Amino acid sequence: MPDATTLMLRSPLTQLIESDGLTADRLAGLSALEIGRLPVWSGRQRLPLGDVFDVRGGRSAHVRIAGDVGHVAGIGAGMTSGELVIEGDAGASVGAGMSGGRIEVLGSVGDDAGQAMTGGSLVVRGSAGNRVGAGAPGASRGMTGGEIVVAGSVGAEAGARMRRGLLFVNRDAGDHVARTIIAGTVIVLGRTGREPALGSKRGTLVAVGGVDVPVTYRYACTYEPPHVRVAFVHIRRRYGMTIGPEVVAGRYRRYCGDAGTVGKGEILEWIST
Amino acid sequence: MEHRGVFIEDTFAEAFPMRATRLIITAANERWARQAALTLTGFATSVIACKCEAAVERPLAPNETPDERPGVSVLLFAMDTDSLGKRLVERIGQAVLTCPTTSCFDGLPDADRRIVAGRALRAFGDGFQGSKVVAGERYWRIPVMDGEFLVQESFGVVKGVGGGNFIILGTDLRSTLAAAEAAVDAVATVPGVILPFPGGIARSGSKVGSRRYKSVPATTNDAFCPTLRPLTPSSLPSNADCVLEIVLDGLDESSIRRAMRVGIEAACRPGVHAITAGNFGGKLGPHHFHLHAIMGQSQVAEAPRA
Repeated sequence: MPDATTLMLRSPLTQLIESDGLTADRLAGLSALEIGRLPVWSGRQRLPLGDVFDVRGGRSAHVRIAGDVGHVAGIGAGMTSGELVIEGDAGASVGAGMSGGRIEVLGSVGDDAGQAMTGGSLVVRGSAGNRVGAGAPGASRGMTGGEIVVAGSVGAEAGARMRRGLLFVNRDAGDHVARTIIAGTVIVLGRTGREPALGSKRGTLVAVGGVDVPVTYRYACTYEPPHVRVAFVHIRRRYGMTIGPEVVAGRYRRYCGDAGTVGKGEILEWIST
Repeated sequence: MEHRGVFIEDTFAEAFPMRATRLIITAANERWARQAALTLTGFATSVIACKCEAAVERPLAPNETPDERPGVSVLLFAMDTDSLGKRLVERIGQAVLTCPTTSCFDGLPDADRRIVAGRALRAFGDGFQGSKVVAGERYWRIPVMDGEFLVQESFGVVKGVGGGNFIILGTDLRSTLAAAEAAVDAVATVPGVILPFPGGIARSGSKVGSRRYKSVPATTNDAFCPTLRPLTPSSLPSNADCVLEIVLDGLDESSIRRAMRVGIEAACRPGVHAITAGNFGGKLGPHHFHLHAIMGQSQVAEAPRA
């Protein structure tokens, strides 16, 4: 990473830290000193970021965060451009509301990763908690653009109320994946949990590792969906995910639903040959 | 200038600006990708009567295509963007959408100017169509009887060049045709260029206007017709009884230059007496491809002339 700004955790965290504006685009215009003066919150206490992190570099659109920041919430929230790499675990709401740039977490993340994002890409090399790419509580929409790629598993309600975009889960997804999805594509290579894609309007759930299709869906046909191939090839090429040729070129059972809504959604269940 | 015993005339090809696009057609196998491409590029030899010029650029291996299926790239040229857009909709709709197992993608992703031909085709889905956005690109899913036809929404457009050419003057039909075929095979290795005439070769080179029929825009190039040698001012050397022309359209000047060089190189073989090119005195087309500059300053010699 060329001339990156590095934030090194000074000591292990035991309390939750709320970061505010810890994004690559915001830090791009700031010196190390100015970055150190940015506020973070520990409960009610406001702290300078420099008390938590040792800041090196500055004035770079490439940012690295080193150390276990599993207790830090909101890293990358609202990011619009640049590159942010978190070298360990990260807390909740990573990349929430982001609209551009790329965030890569080399560990796992907490709940609400990519919440209501509108663009950019969020890559999690570990697993993610609940509500990946979903909407904020009470919001009518989840993510409306961008791409989320999770190399591990995700918790419940991944992609809930998704309006547009791509969510790829390399392993298992918890219950209620793609719940009330409006549009967009959710791909799960592992097993999906209970009640997938309930209330879907016209989104797509691609289930490779096994799915219990809800009774409100109707079988259409078994075929080779061309858009799924394009999505898999893109994910493999851009994010380096290993996706077998039998999946990329596979046949899928298409179920149309949810009959309780306009019913233009679909579940595509991979069948092994 | 002489190259391998063939006289290279000190002249130039005069070419014109056109608007160009590249399509990537994929299918379940090479057979159907090629079939769709051949059908799409059929009846597209000249904008004079076909409204566009098109041909297969090259086959694509699966790792070169967006869906990792076998594919073919096709170049299409028209006089303006509006006309190009109409031809795209017509030809994708009638030749690719109709062909089993195909999908159709943009081959100029970096082009700033776009034609939303895929979007125009979505209406064939009669409301049952859908779209997906992958990597910022929208793809339309049109339900058809073998599953779905996937077409990218927009296709890039660039300022291309049409009408590059070189003319092969040979002893007889057999040797001239062999030289032209060799030229076509050589040009096929150059990306960004197509040869829009049948098999890449034009036997009916034309001149602007007519001696006899005022309403006809183009007529036979009588100066290069061997049967008319004593009946009209002839440009043929005495030992040339056959002439074939290679016309090139390219995405840019450098591609055409490269293609002309390898094509002329391949055509310089026994049975060929001279290579020349067609132009309009340099007054019409802004792109000039000088044969000597393309072939480099090698041997210079006088060739027998009529």
